[in-house]
Amino acid sequence: MPRILTRENAIRWAPFLVLLALIVLFTALNPSFLSQRNFARIAIAAAPALMVAVGVTFIIVMGSIDLSMEGVVSLTAVLFCFLMLALGGTLASGGWIAIPVILTVGAAIGLVNGLIHVKLKIPSFMASLALGFVGTGAAILLTGGDIVKFNDPTFRALLTWRIFGFPLMVYVAGLCLVLAWFIQAHTRLGRYFYAVGGGEDLAHASGVQVQRVRMAGFALAGLFYAIAAILQVAKLGQAESVTGSNFMFMSITSVVVGGVALWGGIGGVWNTLVGVLIVAVINNGMVVIGLPDFLQAAVLGLLVIIAVILSTDRRSVAFVK
Amino acid sequence: MSTFIKDYIERETINRRNFLLATAAGMGAMAVPFAFGGGAARAAINDPAIAWSYRDRASAYWNSIVSGGEAFVESLGKPKESLVSLINEGSSEKSLADIKAFLAKTNGKCAIACDANDSPNARPVVEAVRDAGAYISTIWNKTDDLHPWDIGDNYVSHMTWSDEKPAEQTARILFEAMGGKGGVVHLGGIAANNPAIERLNGLKNALKDFPNIELLDAQPADWDTTKGTELMASFLTRFGDKIKGVHCANDNIAYGVIEALRAEGIEDMPIVAYDGNPEAVKLVMDGKLLATVFTNPHWGGGITAALAYYAATGAFKPSEEPKEHREFYGPTVLVTNKDAADFKAKYLDSVPAYNWKDFWGPSNGQIKYK
Repeated sequence: MPRILTRENAIRWAPFLVLLALIVLFTALNPSFLSQRNFARIAIAAAPALMVAVGVTFIIVMGSIDLSMEGVVSLTAVLFCFLMLALGGTLASGGWIAIPVILTVGAAIGLVNGLIHVKLKIPSFMASLALGFVGTGAAILLTGGDIVKFNDPTFRALLTWRIFGFPLMVYVAGLCLVLAWFIQAHTRLGRYFYAVGGGEDLAHASGVQVQRVRMAGFALAGLFYAIAAILQVAKLGQAESVTGSNFMFMSITSVVVGGVALWGGIGGVWNTLVGVLIVAVINNGMVVIGLPDFLQAAVLGLLVIIAVILSTDRRSVAFVK
Repeated sequence: MSTFIKDYIERETINRRNFLLATAAGMGAMAVPFAFGGGAARAAINDPAIAWSYRDRASAYWNSIVSGGEAFVESLGKPKESLVSLINEGSSEKSLADIKAFLAKTNGKCAIACDANDSPNARPVVEAVRDAGAYISTIWNKTDDLHPWDIGDNYVSHMTWSDEKPAEQTARILFEAMGGKGGVVHLGGIAANNPAIERLNGLKNALKDFPNIELLDAQPADWDTTKGTELMASFLTRFGDKIKGVHCANDNIAYGVIEALRAEGIEDMPIVAYDGNPEAVKLVMDGKLLATVFTNPHWGGGITAALAYYAATGAFKPSEEPKEHREFYGPTVLVTNKDAADFKAKYLDSVPAYNWKDFWGPSNGQIKYK
């Protein structure tokens, strides 16, 4: 029988244990934390963030970084609302066409991001950060700084229609997560992400077309950012040029807290799920236990550091940059 | 086309207007000293360039400020593009650097309207403007020890909005809708922001008259819709049915609160907000919001530019004005279900044409310091 309590297992399960510990802690301080209603609230908060984080997971596994999410989410959210309104303002009247169109737009922006990074040989953080600004700028230009409301009740069923107490958007996010896991575990592209992240030269020498893999990775990330944008519109009933703000910190923190290594090759979408839940639970829990607001940012920072310490195998890291 | 060439052509084409304006300004300057029994010479600038220095274009508020500035320059017979936007993107360093660049470019022959981004930045900004011999009017941010009359005529005026009283009014409307009892939560702006502090103080003032209303908690939602939904959801877990009403520091937060409640199937919670954005006014008309407060940014944007401009042209001399014309509160209009339709027709459906020489008509008295 293989030993269960190995060091590897401990590290693999550490993020999950951190999540459980947080739930126990917050429940001990306020029992109403541990209620189905509250878990639904945490799930609603986490669903769009999870999609952004899943998108960037692929990039981080490749050993690159993508910082364009705020701009891409804002731009695709705004375009989505405009397109929906132009197509009659309801899902039923042909507005559903907006969904595949916006997913394509998201993937296309991601692809442009990848092209700039790969073809012009600009570091991914710089290329993506710049493209993110372009996205935010385009969203401001389109909206003129105003809010675009989109309140079709059929579409808003993503938020208001509940199955087993959880709104529809949580299941949509769940399905997309399973899709992401499938890409990661059962496609050639998914395996190439790990190959490139684990050792680019080696992957290249083994015949992996690294440049294409990178571009595909960025396009895939853009697709998930567009899904996040649609869920965010479903959650808020509106889009504006700041719809995507805060997603950068939230998603990259979640990915790292969940145990995906920033140097690439380690972790995957399940880590990301746990990481997103940890951050969402901390944010919700701090209010639920009544922590004074001036302590919240500091506590969030400390808990993130602790979670990263517990969930990374620092012995296997040669250097940290 | 380079801005230099463009500026040159513009200068040449509007020479005639310059001549007329200069004549008018000169005559005014000649007439006024006699009225006051003679005195200091006027420092009139012919056709000063006009700039607005502000945070960003990503919000309805600042867009409205700029639209007022544009309406003002159009009232001078200039194209609206002649209003120069100095966008500081929330950086005080950039705010000061942009203003210094504009002063250098125009050689001090300019009038600037400005929100200095944060309070400490107001002093270096107005001092740079004074040293260049230009004119500036500010809104919102300045420290309490900085006064236009201490700097001189070049620092024309400062306008801010006292949010305490209107926030107290919205709180009273909220408490009455709650039947005078039950728990209330406050979702605030960025904790250190002046308006956020004042709006919470307004709520606390109203609480004194309602002993059966309990303030369950007040936390910052950073003026943000997403933060508003998530904070409200957490409040629902913590307080549940004890929450009978919600006091929001601005409209954006209220949009988030409404969505957090919609997710739970709660449709009739009394909520009040602040800012009087068009979407919020519509929510007031639909009965989703009890009240919001309009601060008329369009007028604020126009009049601030107008004050700096007319002081620069010598149309009036700031130091001859009383203190309540140098530091004053901007207008606030409470919008409730009763008057929302009228309000919308008057302020939102069509923008009123303001007389940009009626500098202090709609203002709300001299600023009081605590």
